[in-house]
Amino acid sequence: MIRDVDVAVIGGGSAGLAAAVMAARQGARVMLFERQGFLGGMGTASLVHTFCGLYLLKSGPVAELANPGFPSEMAERMMASTGLGPIRMGRLDVLPQHPVDFVRIADELVKAESSLVVQWHTEVIGVRKNQGRWEIDWSCRGSLGKASTTVIVDASGDAVTAPWIGAAHEVAPRLQRPAYVFGIQGVKAFPDERRLQLAGMLVEGIRTGVLSKAALGLSFRPSGRPGELFGTLDLAGEEGGSIYDPLDPVGLSALEAEGRRVASGALACLREMAPEWSAAFISQWPARAGIRESRRWVGRACLTGAQIEAGTRFADEIGLATWPMEHRENVRGPKWHFPVEDRPTGIPLDCLRIPDHDNLFVAGRCISVDHEAQASIRVMGTCFVTGEAAGVAAAIKAGGGDPTASAVRRIPGHGNFSQAL
Amino acid sequence: MSREVDGIEVIGWLRSEEILMLEEGFTVGDDLFQAGLDSMAVMQLVVAAEEQFGVQLQAGDLTKENLTTAESLATLIRERRT
Repeated sequence: MIRDVDVAVIGGGSAGLAAAVMAARQGARVMLFERQGFLGGMGTASLVHTFCGLYLLKSGPVAELANPGFPSEMAERMMASTGLGPIRMGRLDVLPQHPVDFVRIADELVKAESSLVVQWHTEVIGVRKNQGRWEIDWSCRGSLGKASTTVIVDASGDAVTAPWIGAAHEVAPRLQRPAYVFGIQGVKAFPDERRLQLAGMLVEGIRTGVLSKAALGLSFRPSGRPGELFGTLDLAGEEGGSIYDPLDPVGLSALEAEGRRVASGALACLREMAPEWSAAFISQWPARAGIRESRRWVGRACLTGAQIEAGTRFADEIGLATWPMEHRENVRGPKWHFPVEDRPTGIPLDCLRIPDHDNLFVAGRCISVDHEAQASIRVMGTCFVTGEAAGVAAAIKAGGGDPTASAVRRIPGHGNFSQAL
Repeated sequence: MSREVDGIEVIGWLRSEEILMLEEGFTVGDDLFQAGLDSMAVMQLVVAAEEQFGVQLQAGDLTKENLTTAESLATLIRERRT
């Protein structure tokens, strides 16, 4: 059976979730394809546990949401679920989020939309155009199926549709490095100041040859739940012996194995050296390593790092990017580039559109930007923004309307959007 | 290297090793943690200090007081060199 829908969303990470829910709320019949058995992508499968990019960059005492609509709704739902509000990290406000809460919130959001069908455990394996509509091939554990849709939203993170339809795409020569995040329990106390000594113990482990130098990319953060921490390990991605390629299964496989090996070694080391870690254990592996950057679309417009640095605004913007450019091109910690006067940057709708195809929109970390700007727009708070806009634009297009930026901005739930801009 | 390490040298070293991006005009008394020093940067710092100054900083050395400013960090390095 070929299922016939108005909007097909490829990928159920933060952008795909936003796109599918918002398209359904406009009345479109939506199908969402996701390879895991749950939604949330980087925020669930890869255990990334802060929403970055939700708040305006400013030095005031109170964190101020940058975008109304779906990003603000997600912030509210997450705060209600965890009981935690935004926290200040240096100059930045972030919202702690828990992957377990995110999965459940996503379940509730999709269940509320009767015109949205989520197909989990499914990889889209091909897309082609047929008489103006898109035909999608999918695979689920050896079962092959097809869907037909008026509009596609590619929220795959890796621009998977681009090569299939012969559309322009690119992979930057110097990619942001991946992160391997894992859950830890059994740590008796984790006072802030102790982080520095734990870091010293890891270096000691490297000195004595117990740990590999890869452990230098490791840091810890409380999950917000009693007795639970997350470890985040920045990896070079070149563990397989070749240059980092997030689209190569051999390299990705080596990356996963190396993440687990370094994490296990670091835990063993800290159990020996830190008394309060003597009973600590790794309680959760991610479903997959966190990929920060891979293949991107080349769209009708390309947002650049220079535009983010200047805080450029656009007539056809659909929301605001507020996260500074956070470069992680090596495993020596982040390198930050802040915009002048901490200004937000508009995201043009044309960065979500591609040449030659009116009925395909892109969302999330693979929208049309350059490598510098991607270091800002890849974060989940901003993926909610581009996902929402792509979903609304897709529903307008599927309904025969003209998906202009002002039409996308005028949707219900965006009461004070014009003021926010 | 026989000359004593001071805060100015530490600032230049943190910059050149790209351990921290310190703005122009950052002084030896300014707060390194506010400038972004975190546990990961501290690990880089300990490794780099061994190469540059020949000191093996231990976990117990890595207190907030010792690392707060370039001045206090220079003092720590001087103490551990003797």
